[in-house]
Amino acid sequence: MSRDEVLKALSKPSPYGPDVDLGRFSVSDEETPSSDVSAAEKIADRLGIGSWVLRKADYLQVNESVVARAMSEKLAKYGAVVLPTREALRKLSWAPDYAWKLVEPTLDKYVAATYLYGREAGFFIYVPPDAKVREPIYTCLFITRRSYAQLLHNIVVVDDGAELNLITGCGVPDQPVGSLHVGISEYYVGRKAKLTYTMIHAWAPDMVVRPRTVAEVREGGEYVSYYVIYSPVESLQTFPRVILRENARATLNSVVVGGGRGVYDVGSSVVLSGAGSSGEILSRNLGRGSSAIYARSRIRSTAGPSKGHIECLGLIEGSEALIESLPEISSSSPDAVLTHEAAIGKIGEELISYLMSKGFAEDEARSVIIKGFLSIEEPKLPPQIMDVVRRTIEYIASRATG
Amino acid sequence: MVEVTLELRNVSVAVGSRVVLSSVNMKIGYRELHVLVGPNGSGKTSLLNAVVGIKPYEVVSGQVLLMGEDVTREPPNVKARKGLVLAHQLPPVVKGVVVGKFVEELARRFDVKKSYVDMLSEILEVGYLMDRYLFDKMSGGERKRLETFLTLLTRPRVALLDEPDSGVDIDSLNTISNALRAALNLGTSLLLVTHSLHMIKLLREYVNTIHVVYGGALLMSGLYDEVVPLVEKHGFSGLALRFSRGGFP
Repeated sequence: MSRDEVLKALSKPSPYGPDVDLGRFSVSDEETPSSDVSAAEKIADRLGIGSWVLRKADYLQVNESVVARAMSEKLAKYGAVVLPTREALRKLSWAPDYAWKLVEPTLDKYVAATYLYGREAGFFIYVPPDAKVREPIYTCLFITRRSYAQLLHNIVVVDDGAELNLITGCGVPDQPVGSLHVGISEYYVGRKAKLTYTMIHAWAPDMVVRPRTVAEVREGGEYVSYYVIYSPVESLQTFPRVILRENARATLNSVVVGGGRGVYDVGSSVVLSGAGSSGEILSRNLGRGSSAIYARSRIRSTAGPSKGHIECLGLIEGSEALIESLPEISSSSPDAVLTHEAAIGKIGEELISYLMSKGFAEDEARSVIIKGFLSIEEPKLPPQIMDVVRRTIEYIASRATG
Repeated sequence: MVEVTLELRNVSVAVGSRVVLSSVNMKIGYRELHVLVGPNGSGKTSLLNAVVGIKPYEVVSGQVLLMGEDVTREPPNVKARKGLVLAHQLPPVVKGVVVGKFVEELARRFDVKKSYVDMLSEILEVGYLMDRYLFDKMSGGERKRLETFLTLLTRPRVALLDEPDSGVDIDSLNTISNALRAALNLGTSLLLVTHSLHMIKLLREYVNTIHVVYGGALLMSGLYDEVVPLVEKHGFSGLALRFSRGGFP
């Protein structure tokens, strides 16, 4: 692939989501260290996980500056590596083997811009074979700069038999910044390895967000993701793809709370490419304000026997929100079993009445119902991660009635 | 004289614009068990829902007095906090809400001691349901026992029980009856709607008054021995026919 081809891709829109003029945003010419800790604390609070996460963060990047990078004992003892991607690609001779292998730089304009101008900002995590890093690794990627394009390239490698629990929080302070966040993520899950990945987004009504994620899970490996977005955005479009090899498994959970006039085009895609592989996509979508949520779910089987299931539920508050559920299952294998279920509705009056008759005020009842709706009990997530997820859902539900 | 906990004074109930029950009068005293019987569609559920304030049921005239206070226009949550709680006939599935967490929240809101929660849980045999979602994938008996549990958990002054016996097996029926006896002993007054004379017989020694509702009105009220034999002999429609011809001698 030549640089010219990537340059050409700068004018290639994504097939999904609103097209955005990249000329609205500027990339930084040089790395200017940010010391805006109070802004970072505000963002952490908005993520619903509290500013304590800043003290625990194993990697904190504000705009393009790496503010904190702790190589704590918990990581060092496993031989794990957490580095800025740029540094990893420079220092580790084998690291380039993992760069731009899963995500094609010519995929669309956002990926092309990150490849050409992102200067390999982002984080690189490597967990060596059989190392079980069960304590969560926290990475935080924040934006405080206006009209800025944060172009990130993250690489995570969980080698054969290893385990990693990764939590990433991305956000802006609760004020207009009018910026762009592109996160290119390439995840490699080795044979019989396990990666659980939780991503929490808190943006602003003028933010454009375009994550691009591809994960490859090798034989017998497992990938569990949990994605939460609950803030208004201008537009968010993402369609992460997970490729499963023989006997590999994946569960992709997403919770989308639309607000304002935001467009949320959020998908999940699983490719069952190995015999015995199985994938599940669970999505919960809450439409509020004048938001539009396009919930795309796709499972494709190219090898059998394999199993896939999609569950997509939507709840609409008010009369101006839109939810479109777009489940898609396809198979070229007669031994694949693929199923899907989808439903969209509003909060049932009978539920509100029931809870009110047990002493809950109407807004409290709504909050209980929304919290229940958004709670995807994911038994495959470790307890520490579930704690973070529960806190975030509590945070959303506590603000559910505005 | 027995203190009146719940009084319905000339209560008429409508669903939308349609009046389904007229001029109901009832006084339920402290620790009393009143039973409301009548055929399907006679307005029993409508009355309970309207008294609590569940839409679309509405008290269109008359008064609901709880401990002498007019609560007719109060919303259901305020009535519940004041001690008037409904056990629903068909409690809805509340997705994602774990029973144990909900119980903790109710106990906190109503300031109920853990020992009481445990005791009630034991009587109603609901302990094993605590990790499940509220009413999700539960049998008829489990739903009824759990709804009775959640209602009595709030330590209400008056519990309105809408057919806690429908669709349950004999064991669950005995279990629920035991819980109702315990609630009465602990000071709760009960208004029980049932189709089943069997349940009334199980609670016979506690029954104060049986009210028969028919054709949109309260047909008669009386003691167990006055009402049950008549219902058994004539049925509700036969009873109504006799009353329309001038009543019983």
